[in-house]
Amino acid sequence: MIAPLMRCLTVVMLCASPCTSQVSAQTQPPHPAHTSRPIQVGGYATAGHINLASAQSFDAILGTSSGLIFGGGLRAGLPFGGLFLDAGAWRYAKRGERAFVLNGTVYSLNIPVEVTMTPLELSAGWRFRFRRLPRFVPYVAAGVTVMKYVERSDFSTPAEDVDEQFVGRLFVGGAEIRLMRWLGAGTEVVWSSVRNALGDAGVSRAFDETGLGGTSFRFKITAGR
Amino acid sequence: MSSFAARACAALALAAGLITVSVHGQLNHAAARTMVQEIGLPAIDRGVRNQDAPRDARSGANAAPARLGSTEHRPYLRGSVIVKFKDQATRAGIDAAASQLSGDLVTRAPHANFDILDIPADLDPEAAAAAMRARANVEYAQPRYVNHAMARPNDPLYGNQWNFPAIDMERAWDIQPGASSDIVVAVLDTGMAFRSITMRYLARVPFQLEAGGPVYPALGPVVMPFAAAPELGASGSPRFVAPRDFIWNDELPLDLDGHGTHVAGTIGQLTNNNSGTAGMAYNVRLMPVKVIRGIWDAVFGSPFEGTDDVVALGIRYAADHGANVINLSLGRETGGPAPVVADAIRYAVSRGCFVVAASGNTRAGGNAPNRLAQAAPEIDGFVAVGAVGRTLNPAFYSTTGPFVELAAPGGDQLEGGLAGGILQQTLDFDLIETYLRPLSQFAPPRADVFAHEYLQGTSMAAPHVSGFAALLMQQGLTNPAVIEAAMKAFATDRGAPGRDNAFGFGLINPRATLRGMGLAR
Repeated sequence: MIAPLMRCLTVVMLCASPCTSQVSAQTQPPHPAHTSRPIQVGGYATAGHINLASAQSFDAILGTSSGLIFGGGLRAGLPFGGLFLDAGAWRYAKRGERAFVLNGTVYSLNIPVEVTMTPLELSAGWRFRFRRLPRFVPYVAAGVTVMKYVERSDFSTPAEDVDEQFVGRLFVGGAEIRLMRWLGAGTEVVWSSVRNALGDAGVSRAFDETGLGGTSFRFKITAGR
Repeated sequence: MSSFAARACAALALAAGLITVSVHGQLNHAAARTMVQEIGLPAIDRGVRNQDAPRDARSGANAAPARLGSTEHRPYLRGSVIVKFKDQATRAGIDAAASQLSGDLVTRAPHANFDILDIPADLDPEAAAAAMRARANVEYAQPRYVNHAMARPNDPLYGNQWNFPAIDMERAWDIQPGASSDIVVAVLDTGMAFRSITMRYLARVPFQLEAGGPVYPALGPVVMPFAAAPELGASGSPRFVAPRDFIWNDELPLDLDGHGTHVAGTIGQLTNNNSGTAGMAYNVRLMPVKVIRGIWDAVFGSPFEGTDDVVALGIRYAADHGANVINLSLGRETGGPAPVVADAIRYAVSRGCFVVAASGNTRAGGNAPNRLAQAAPEIDGFVAVGAVGRTLNPAFYSTTGPFVELAAPGGDQLEGGLAGGILQQTLDFDLIETYLRPLSQFAPPRADVFAHEYLQGTSMAAPHVSGFAALLMQQGLTNPAVIEAAMKAFATDRGAPGRDNAFGFGLINPRATLRGMGLAR
């Protein structure tokens, strides 16, 4: 699992590098300070709403295919233009009931089940800076997500519960407004895809759904530069 | 004790004889059955009949010759872990270990050779135990996992009921403990020992069970005591709803055979009552509907017998009177299709009833299908059930065919001896099948003496599925077609991969079906 993760990160970094020089050429003339600037590390807290892939499956068990997420992370601005690395995590947890599905209709069986998703997201991206809008910082990023998926039911043995990790990819687009020198607020859209995580059994098999990703809309409070 | 019992029996028999003789002169020959008293003597339970020879496979056809558990999903207590320190551990080392988790050792309990270490409630006990195990002075450490009873019934004869563990019922009962009185299961059969009452019958003519066999004399008027089977419920209790007898055309579906009472026991024998055996759905209410004529019903001249129309009437009656599940441990292997019964079953299913039929007991003798069960593949909400023995292989008698949809324990005494049958309480066959005694000992039957009898047959398999359906209904699946689909989807595939003619879609798996599906598993 680590090897593909590293490969993905390398690809992301390689993709990000050429973009960096092009975008720099367009938006920011070379600036000696960029190369001499130290690595800038900041943290952030995030809250948002996710619309999950495999919507029918989540809806069958949890009664909804979306929900609130809360998380946080660290971001490091590298001394190469707007290049940054981001490592964050969030959590989605919801209780539902086990069910039986026949011809697409869901019949609840009144057995509690709790689904928890905790992805670790690693990405690299580029922050754009505009001289006329120095407080407004849009950014894009891409990376990998390591999704920890836990599903626990009443009356289940540990072997029947699910506690697995899957690797997927993610793309981020967002913008941040610097409120103060060390404080910012922003919003972003994250699309993630974790293939072949579901679908072997359970209602996800009945609905032929396999993905664990989704599209999330998040608000961020950032601390640091 | 035994001589006293013998004397008491003799006295009772003598008294009964006197009554018989005295009543004889006053008989109105038009009335073949009348109620003498609306009471009867208490039932007598003669225990397990485990020394008898195995009986033929039983079916209605040959009855007569003619939490939420906790929402907290952790399987352990928080706030403490179990730690066993090595013998050579020093006091300082133990204190250091405790302080690593900011914990305190609880005073050791008597007889314990381990310690309970209180830890902060927000610490994960599994992680804490792992941290303890990593220390050199700790022999073992583990969270305080919570154990629970496996829902093994406390009925003393439960140990003889291999059929329930064979289909993982103990864990199924953890999920759904016996359904509730909201669910009504109709038992369409030879009647049911549901009431204590004294009846008078008239046996007018001699009879013969088989050509060339002994001719049994006409008994004349017979006063026959009945009692409710102690393991089914008290006479007059709300356990029994809407009783109906389509053989005698009244509201007294009394069992003069024992088959129906045994079948009812598998469905709903009182369980966890420290007595006798267990049943699948032990909290349901039972609807006794008599649609099959036993030998004694025939001898006493019942006005009806178990024809297709009578069976169809019984099915419609049950559907109209609130039955959720209808058990048909009956059928026939001769004659043509039974559209009247199929139509009645469709009606019952349309009213929300799940219907179960035995596949038949003819495999060893030509494998002719039970005609009443043949419509099962065409009706969603109606299943035909084959039988397996203790090894979970098809029973030697269990009729196979394309109409078989599920399999359940029905017993196989060829491979398992007497105890390879299905054990439930029913009428004591010694005292009900007096026509099997030598002619000189032929006597009127009595239906107030009970025993736990091992029987085998698809008749015994079907009520497992009926009880299973009742559990599913209680769990929330109420549509008969959905119940059938769920049973098939979670059945344990045996025999040839996929559906086959012996197991159908497989051996029922109540625990897996009741658990249903999660999101990923």
